[in-house]
Amino acid sequence: MPGELADEGQRRAMLAEIDSSCRAPVLFFVISGLAWLLLGTLLALVTSIKLHSPGFLAGWDFLTFGRVRPAHLNAVIYGFASQTGIAVTIWLMCRLCRVPLISGGLIILAAIFWNVGLTIGLIGILAGDSTAIEWLELPGYSTPILFFSYALVAVWSIITFRLRRESHLYVSQWYLLGAILWFPWLYATAQIMLILEPVRGTVQAAINWWFAHNVLGLWFTPIGLAAIYYFIPKVIGRPIHSYYLSVLGFWSLALFYNWNGLHHLIGGPMPAWMITVSVVASVMMLIPVITVAINHHFTMVGHFGKLRYSPTLRFVVVGALCYTATSLQGVANSLRSYSEIVHFTHHTIAHAHLGLYGFFTMVMFGSLYYIIPRISGREWPSLGLISIHFWGCFLGLVLYVVPLSYGGILQGLAMNDATVPFMKVVEGTLPWLKLRTFAGLLMALGHVAFVGNLVWLLARVFGPYRKPVVAILSGTETPAIAGK
Amino acid sequence: MSPIGILLLFGAMAVPVVALACLRWAAKNGQLQNGDRGALLPFDLEEPLDKATDQILNRKSAKS
Repeated sequence: MPGELADEGQRRAMLAEIDSSCRAPVLFFVISGLAWLLLGTLLALVTSIKLHSPGFLAGWDFLTFGRVRPAHLNAVIYGFASQTGIAVTIWLMCRLCRVPLISGGLIILAAIFWNVGLTIGLIGILAGDSTAIEWLELPGYSTPILFFSYALVAVWSIITFRLRRESHLYVSQWYLLGAILWFPWLYATAQIMLILEPVRGTVQAAINWWFAHNVLGLWFTPIGLAAIYYFIPKVIGRPIHSYYLSVLGFWSLALFYNWNGLHHLIGGPMPAWMITVSVVASVMMLIPVITVAINHHFTMVGHFGKLRYSPTLRFVVVGALCYTATSLQGVANSLRSYSEIVHFTHHTIAHAHLGLYGFFTMVMFGSLYYIIPRISGREWPSLGLISIHFWGCFLGLVLYVVPLSYGGILQGLAMNDATVPFMKVVEGTLPWLKLRTFAGLLMALGHVAFVGNLVWLLARVFGPYRKPVVAILSGTETPAIAGK
Repeated sequence: MSPIGILLLFGAMAVPVVALACLRWAAKNGQLQNGDRGALLPFDLEEPLDKATDQILNRKSAKS
């Protein structure tokens, strides 16, 4: 590459420059993403309580289930997950391309537009303006703002990639570039075909599930896997087990994932061949999933002891395990015989949360534990809050997914039994739904602990300057905590 | 076909074409070879190979 750095001193200076150049834009996306996480968590708790206590906050129109539930979904996927995903993408792209962040103002502008668009959209949903299309509930007047914002980020990413000083690509860059190019295609196609010039009839459902499934698999999944492939080797100090396997995993994901969405319509009024193609592609997903699982596991072999000391590794490894689990569960769910039981049950809700929370969110938390001290020059102030964050989220996740998956199977079996009255089936779900609210409270505790720790850290960043303690950067033990 | 239909068709065709072009570029530029070099890209002078990082929960034992 034309700008490759040969001099060692120049390389060291460049690394520091990269991190400091990312500070404002990345922090902007992270802080706003976490604000949406807190709001999304609150909306999730309200939604969850309403499922077993329908009279809860039922006196206000804007807090009815049909509005709060999509508000929660859109706050967490477009507010939290997308914004932290973009923040992690920006930092990883700069680090792996070996270039400082260019046009930071452009990225901040994109973040402002994203938040303005989302705020308008969320207010619209709560006011009753939802499109009623799952994962695309934001009203049509807010989405062009989001799209403009995203275009700025995508153009910036491609320019950064073009200016890279390292000619060879790491597998994380393949995943990130894939996500950057796939998302606008998915979002624009779905917006045009469902909102701007809506297609008719059951084709709407096909487009809806093509988008909803792919936004997880071709937007969040590549960013999450890019982060896992970067942070596990970084923390343990060893390269990934097989680079070739990782590249195979990327290209097989690119080949098979796009066809998966229609397995959500098993039993629906769709041509059988379309569903069958989707089921076959879903089973073929075993290839990328198993290659990724093998690679992560064999990279970690001999290094599991480091989980005790690294919050990044804890969150990322839990996320990687959840990726394997949710993918295998997804393959099972796509089979007609299994889908007959679990399709319209809480099992599906557990599956979605295992993917978006257990996999993606946990990986994002782990990534932020690594990135923020480097761009801010400060260590995390409280180890106790890190532990509360991890155990709150982890136990909440287990208590959410395991009972709801099991309860969903029981619910499906009961629904398929014509001798069981429907109200009996509904009553049978109540214990699982109450447990779900408790699990949500644990997750909320974890989120509050994380945000509290971040606010504490930022208060030190903007306080009087003290030389950063190098423990995080070097990985060695330290006798002091930065900022004290 | 409406202009939007043509646009969508073009988009749907462009995705596999771009993917194939990327794969061809990767093959021609040696991105699919020399896996050892690729695997070492996350490491740098500040955080080199064989050096564990982010062991911050070790601070407890370091303090006591």
